[in-house]
Amino acid sequence: MSQLSVPHLLGIKELTREDIELILTTAKHFKEIINRPIKKVPSLRDVTIANVFFENSTRTRLSFELAQKRLSADVVNFSSSSSSVKKGETLLDTVNNILAMKVDMIVMRHSSVGAPHFLAKHIKANIVNAGDGTHEHPTQALLDSFSIHEKLGVVEGKKVCIFGDILHSRVALSNIFALKKQGAEVMVCGPNTLLPRYLNELGVKVELDLRKALQWCDVANVLRIQLERQTIKYFPSLREYSLYYGINKEILDSLDKEILIMHPGPINRGIEITSDVADSPHSIILDQVENGVAVRMAVLYLLAGRG
Amino acid sequence: MRVLIKGAEIIDKNSTHHRTVKNVLVVDGIIQQISNEDNGAETIIDAHGLQLSIGWFDMRTTIGEPGFEHKEDIASVCAAAAAGGFTDIASLPDTKPVVQSKNVVSFIKSKCRDQLVQVHPMAAVTNNREGKEITEMMDLHYAGAVAFTDGDLPIWHSDVLLKTLQYLKTFDGLLINHAEDNHISHFGQMNESIESTMLGLKGIPKIAEELMVERDLSILKYTGGKIHFAHISSPKSVALISLAKSEGLSVTCDVAAYQLVLNDTLVQTFDTNLKVNPPLRTQEDIQLLIAAVATGAIDAIVSDHIPQDVESKNLEFDLAEFGMIGLETTFGIVNKALSSCLLIEQLLDKIAYRPREILKLHIPTIEENQPANLTLFDPNMEWQFEKSHIKSKSKNTPFLGHTLKGRAKAVFNNNHFILNY
Repeated sequence: MSQLSVPHLLGIKELTREDIELILTTAKHFKEIINRPIKKVPSLRDVTIANVFFENSTRTRLSFELAQKRLSADVVNFSSSSSSVKKGETLLDTVNNILAMKVDMIVMRHSSVGAPHFLAKHIKANIVNAGDGTHEHPTQALLDSFSIHEKLGVVEGKKVCIFGDILHSRVALSNIFALKKQGAEVMVCGPNTLLPRYLNELGVKVELDLRKALQWCDVANVLRIQLERQTIKYFPSLREYSLYYGINKEILDSLDKEILIMHPGPINRGIEITSDVADSPHSIILDQVENGVAVRMAVLYLLAGRG
Repeated sequence: MRVLIKGAEIIDKNSTHHRTVKNVLVVDGIIQQISNEDNGAETIIDAHGLQLSIGWFDMRTTIGEPGFEHKEDIASVCAAAAAGGFTDIASLPDTKPVVQSKNVVSFIKSKCRDQLVQVHPMAAVTNNREGKEITEMMDLHYAGAVAFTDGDLPIWHSDVLLKTLQYLKTFDGLLINHAEDNHISHFGQMNESIESTMLGLKGIPKIAEELMVERDLSILKYTGGKIHFAHISSPKSVALISLAKSEGLSVTCDVAAYQLVLNDTLVQTFDTNLKVNPPLRTQEDIQLLIAAVATGAIDAIVSDHIPQDVESKNLEFDLAEFGMIGLETTFGIVNKALSSCLLIEQLLDKIAYRPREILKLHIPTIEENQPANLTLFDPNMEWQFEKSHIKSKSKNTPFLGHTLKGRAKAVFNNNHFILNY
C-alpha cells in the first residue's frame, strides 16, 4: 500500500519527490480507466467531497467534479464570487457549516494566500488546494509534470521555461517547486516587472529576452496574463506585451529545434500566444486538460487513503 | 503602608547605591530607607537574587481606549504593563476619536491618575491621522501630550512634515515618525525576500522604510527640530540615523522587541500573529539590529504593543490586521536574546532611561526620600509564557509556549505596588 506523506494537498512545497512520483504513477492508471467505455470506478463511493470555490473557475472545478464522479464520490458544490468576509461570514464558519453536514474532504479555491493552510489548522477534513491567491495551484503543476512526462518520457533534466506573469501566478510557483523537485531545469521569462525578486535563490534562471528563452528550453509553459490580479500597471499595454512577449509561429519556426507548448488556460488568444501556435501539433494544451482529470483522481484517491 | 524589599541588588546608574545589595523600605510610596537593616514592615518581599531598577518605560503602546475597548482598555493595558514590569507607557493616538484634542488627552490621563501605571499620551500630528492638516499641537502639548505621531501611518506629505517640524520647534516638541513609503509597501503582507517569493505574498522591501528615513532626515536638516524614528526594522535605516547623529542632527530611534528575535521564515506557518508592520526581517537583519542596540545606535527598545481581537486575527493572512501584543513579553524575550552581548545596565538604558530622556520626562532614581518608582525583577528566571499570563484583553502573540528569560516580580509607582508572582 502506498501513501502520501501528507494528509492534505496544500502545495507542492509540502510534497516529497516520492509523493509526486506516486501521484503521477497513480494518475497513469486512472488515465487508462477514463479512456475505457465505462469510465467509472467505485473507489470513493463512501466519501463525500465539497468543492468550495471562493473565486471563479470553470475548468478546475469541472475537472475536480469529473474526477470525483468517476471515483463514485458524493459531490457538493459551493461557490461564491465574493469573498466570505464580504458576506459577513468568516471562512472558518463557512467551512465548518459545510463540514457539519458530514463532508470528508474539501477542495478549495480562495483568493487569499495560505487560506487552505489556515483551514488545515482548524478542521479535520482532508483539504485539497485548488488555488490560493498568488501562492500555489498544486494539481495544475502535477498535471503539467504528468503531461511533460507523457510526451517526453522524463521530467528530470528537461529544460522548462515558464513565460509571462510569474509575479501573480500560482501556477508558476507550483510548477517551479514541482519541476525542481523532479530534477528539471527551470527558467522564467517575462517583463522584469512581472518577475518576483529572489527567484535565483530557488535555482531558477531568469531571462528577459523571449527569443533567447525559447532557444534554451525544451518545454514552453505559457501563462495567461492575469489582468484581474494586477492592481497597478506592470507593463504599458497589451499591445506592447504581445509584440515583445507574445509567442507566434514565426518565432517558433525561426528556432533550430521543436519545443513543446503548454498553457494552463484560459488562453488570451493573440496576446500571450497566437492561435496558430495554440492549435499547432506542438501544443499539448488539450492533453493537459484531459490529464487534469486523471491527476485529480489520483490526488483524491491517495488522500482518501486508498493507495 | 510599609513594604520592605529585602536583599535586592540595586541597578541604577544615577544612584549612590548602584550595584549594591540592600534592603529598601518603601513607606507610603516614598523610599524611606536604603540600608542593611531589617526593619519591620507590613509586607516583606524576599528579593534575594533579584535586581531592583527604576520603573520601566514603554514608548510605544496602543491602548485601545477610547473607541476600541473590545481589543484593549486603559485598565487592561495598565495591568499588562505592570505584569511586564512597566510603570509608565507612552500611548499612541490611534484611538477613536483620535488623540487630537485636549479633551482626549485629559481623559486618558484622568483614567490612570490614581493607578500604578501612568499612561503618557502622545497626540496625532495631523487631523484624524490623515496626513493633511496639522493638529493644534501647542494646545495638546500644554495639555500634557508628550510627543506627536500619526502612529503606524507615515507623514507621507513632505510639506506637512516640513511644517510640522518647524511648528514643533516653538515648544521643542518631538515628532515620532513611522517611516514607510506606502506606495512601495502597498498591499504588502511581509518582508520582501526569498520567503515572500516562495509564499506568493506581496513583499514590503526594506527600501520602503529607508527611503522615508532618508527623506525625513533631509527635511530635518533643513528645518531643525527633532525626530524619533519608531520601530526601525532595516539596518540601513540605523546607519542613516547614526550618520545624521554624527552630523549633529537631533535624531533618535527605537526597535520593537520582537524585531530582535523573530525572522521572516516563520511566516511560512501563516500565523497571523506574525503579521506586523514593519514586517519581520531576515536573520541577518536581526544580527545587525542586535549589534546596533549594543553599540547604542538604536536608542530604545519598545513593546510595540498592538492588541487585536480574535476576529481581527483568526483569518486568512492577507485579511488579518497587523500587530502583536508585547508588554508582557518584552523583557523576557529581549533579555534572553541580548543578555550575552549586553550588560543589564545597557538593557535598562533601552527600556527605562532613554525613553524618558527622549520624551524629556523626569528620570526617577533609587535614593532615600525619592518617590518609589521601581521594578523588581529576576534577570535569570526561565519561564514558559502561557495564555494565563496575559493581562491584555487581546491574546495576539506568537510567544505562547515560548521559554522566556527574566521576569518582573513587582512594580512600585504612585504609592501603589503590584506583586506579579
